[in-house]
Order: sequence, then C-alpha cells, then structure tokens
Amino acid sequence: MLEALSFFSNSLIASALLSVAVAIIGSLMLVNRYNYLAAAIAHGSYGGIGLAIYFGLPILLGATLFALILALVLAYITLKESRHDILISLLWAVGMSVGIIFVDLTPGYHTDLLAYLFGDILMVPSTDLIYMGAVDLLLVLFITLFYHHLLAIAYDREFAILRGVRVGFLHTTTLLMVALTIVMSIRSIGLILVIALFSVPPYIAEKFTSSFRSMMMLSGIIALGLFVLGLWIAYLFDISASASIILCAGALFLITYHKGRR
Amino acid sequence: MPSVAVDIRHLSFRYDEEYVLEDITAQIYDREYIAIIGPNGGGKSTLLKLILGLLRPTKGEILIYGQPPEKKRTIIGYLPQNINFNLDIPLTAKTIILQGRLSRNKLFYDPQDYEALESVAHKLKISHLLHTKISHLSGGERQKVLLARALVTEPKLLVLDEPTASVDLGAQKEIYAILKELDMTKIVVSHDINIILEGVDRVFYINRKLFIHDNIELKITPREGHFCEMELFEELKRSCDA
Repeated sequence: MLEALSFFSNSLIASALLSVAVAIIGSLMLVNRYNYLAAAIAHGSYGGIGLAIYFGLPILLGATLFALILALVLAYITLKESRHDILISLLWAVGMSVGIIFVDLTPGYHTDLLAYLFGDILMVPSTDLIYMGAVDLLLVLFITLFYHHLLAIAYDREFAILRGVRVGFLHTTTLLMVALTIVMSIRSIGLILVIALFSVPPYIAEKFTSSFRSMMMLSGIIALGLFVLGLWIAYLFDISASASIILCAGALFLITYHKGRR
Repeated sequence: MPSVAVDIRHLSFRYDEEYVLEDITAQIYDREYIAIIGPNGGGKSTLLKLILGLLRPTKGEILIYGQPPEKKRTIIGYLPQNINFNLDIPLTAKTIILQGRLSRNKLFYDPQDYEALESVAHKLKISHLLHTKISHLSGGERQKVLLARALVTEPKLLVLDEPTASVDLGAQKEIYAILKELDMTKIVVSHDINIILEGVDRVFYINRKLFIHDNIELKITPREGHFCEMELFEELKRSCDA
C-alpha cells in the first residue's frame, strides 16, 4: 500500500491541485456557459504544442503562450462579433491543424504526443506541480477579489454593465484563467479529456447547493474523489489513469443526472 | 415646473437597415410615472435600452437629468425582462438583491449594503425569502426580488421592462401597488395594457413612432376592469393625433 502511495505521490498532489482548478474555473465555466469556449481553447492549444516541438521550446511554455493568445482572440470575438460560434469552431480547428502541421514538419518521431492529447497523471513531473500550484494561487486570488462581480455577470450581464462592473475585462480575464487551467491539465488529463473533467463535478455540485461558494467547494471535493477513485481503479486493473478518471466522472454524471433537478 | 428627468430629442434607432424608432421627442419629468405600451416589435424595449445607455442612438440624443445615460447609471434602478436568466446558478434571493449595490470599484459589500438590503426586503415583504434559492421562487416572488435589486441601488429613476410578465394576477396587482407607492421617476414598459389603470401619469404608445397620451381619461372604458388591446391602441392613436 505504501509502495503504491509513493508511486502515486505526484499524481495525488496533481489531483489535489487540479481539484482546486476544477472547483473555481469549472464552476465559472458552467455558470457562464463557457464550456464550448474552453473546449476551443483546449483543442486549439495543440497548436502551441506543435510549435514548441518544432522550435525546440519547453512544451509548457509553447502551450501557455498559444493558449493565452487563443483566449484573448476568443474574448474579443465573443465580445464584438455576433456570429462568434463559427469563428470559435474555426479557431478550434485551425489551432489543432497548426499543431499537426508543425509536428509533421519536425524531424523524428514524437511518441509523447498522445500524452498531451489524453494525458497521463501517473507521469506528471515535479516541475508541472509548481506550475499547477502557481496557477491555483492565481485562481484563488482572482475568485476572491472578483467573486461578487463574476456572479453578477453570470446571472445578468446587462445589469452588471449598468452597475459599472467591468464585464469585458472580467470576461477576458476569466478566459485567460481558463487557458492557464487547461495548460496545467495537459500532462495529467490531456487536451481531449480535460473538458469532461472540468464540466462534470460543477454540473453535479450545482444541483445540490444553494450558493456559488458551496458549489465550488462541492465541485472540488467531487473532482478529488473522482481522481482518487479513477487512480485506484487504474491501479487495480492496470488501465489508463486519465481515461479511468473520466469514465468515473461519466458514471457519476449518469447516476446523478435525474437527482436534485430544480 | 418639475425638472426634466429624461429628455429624448429627435431620437432614431435602427438595427441594420430597418428603423425601429423614428424621430422621437419627449420629456419625462421628475417623479412622473410613465407607462410605455405598444405592439410587439414596436420598439418599447429598444427605447428602454437607449434610456439605460445599453444601446446608442442612430440619430438624436437622450439625456438623463441633463447628462448622457452612461454617466447617470448609478442613479438608475433597472428591472429587466425576466426571460434570459440562468436559473440553474445556485444563488439566493439575498445574493441577487445585493448585486444592486455593486459598482465599478466596489468588490466587497459593507454593513450599509446589508442595511439597505434588509430595508428593501422589509418594504417589499420578502424578508422571509432572502435565503431561498432563486430557482425555488415563484414567478411573482422572483419579480419582487428583481424589483428589490433595482430599489436597493436607491435610484432616482426606476426603469422596468415587463415587470408583471409571467406572474399571476395576484402578484401583478401587488407589484402595481408597490410601484404606485414609490416616490421616484418611474418608466414601465408593459405588454399588459391594463397598467394604464394603475395610476400612471402619462401613457407613451410606441409603434416605431411615439404617441404621447397626456390624459388618462380615455373615451373608452375598460370592460370588467380590462381594456381591449385593439380598442385601446386605436383610441390612443386617435386621441394623440387629435
């Protein structure tokens, strides 16, 4: 048991750090209906990975810069363009295509690419944990400072504008935070699976809570539970940990689907 | 002569090529109670959004107490149409009402905000609902919460967009009674034409153009307490033209 715990130590720390991000950003994504935008950032970020591999830069740096630029473009599009759905889909696909092309252009064979698409929480390096911790700190600071303004925007954007809330600034900052959160999850969960992980716990928590604070708390607890359960099942059956975690999330979603609906 | 609260000067507005409002001029005086009625798509809600500064006029201008709406937002209380809210967010009535106390640089609530909340909730008789999740409230209760959010801002001008839409008759009467008591400038857009029976000072009938009816004593009378929409619109147009 101790041997297993030591093997899982980085994974468990990553799980705890990711749970904090799920609690804050997952909940904000859900109440603002940003899941499609987040999926576009997640998939589009592959462009940053491709560019980083081609230019020999650290993957985390390439993905971070690319995801942040993508988030800024998406923020602008969603604030200014009426037909933003088409542009979002386009950015999603263009980002991925950039990644694929630059990986193709890079000499040699890159076996670790699948790890960025589907992740492997068992292989999270310690440097990533520092990055995750730093992003978590930013998220906690962001939600603490702007809690009331973010809620006002989520409930009634027009009223928030009338009260002088900086809707454009907070919309953009939230998307930048989403971008950072996605990048911090790349190595653990992967670009393809990350949206499920960030959607399911807040969706379940939303139905069983009566305040946004408690929704965030419960989301974090559910996410941590899913990580631990998924890792345990992966250990028992020797299967992919990320996929196991996402399947646990899917199962929990189905179990609670009809519960607690308003 | 009371001061002018809302000064609308040769206002036109168009979405794309089509004019929704055309050359509207009107003045709303301090502490007046105005009802804006008219058919769907006639430009009622557009006019409200222009007054709030959420839309910019294509031509003409609007002044709120002598200044552009963007500069006077802090004195405007607003109750929007109850259609686009995300009711799944776990928020209590208290959280929503307090949002009326937010401002650009105010990130946290202070004791005065809670006092204002208690006072408004008491006035609207919704103190018992403060800790209830918004999705668990009835349509009428939800409208009272939104009215409380508008009033907690301590406005000089109250703007209401369909305050009685999708609420039962009892709640409608209650909301109209509350509005009647409020001592401030009030502009109510309503699909419910019978609002003109509820003590408003003037009626603005809008269907792209504006017809102002100064005298509520119309030549037609309500049957069983209700106006027939067509009859009323015809009568308003006729009397305004005259």
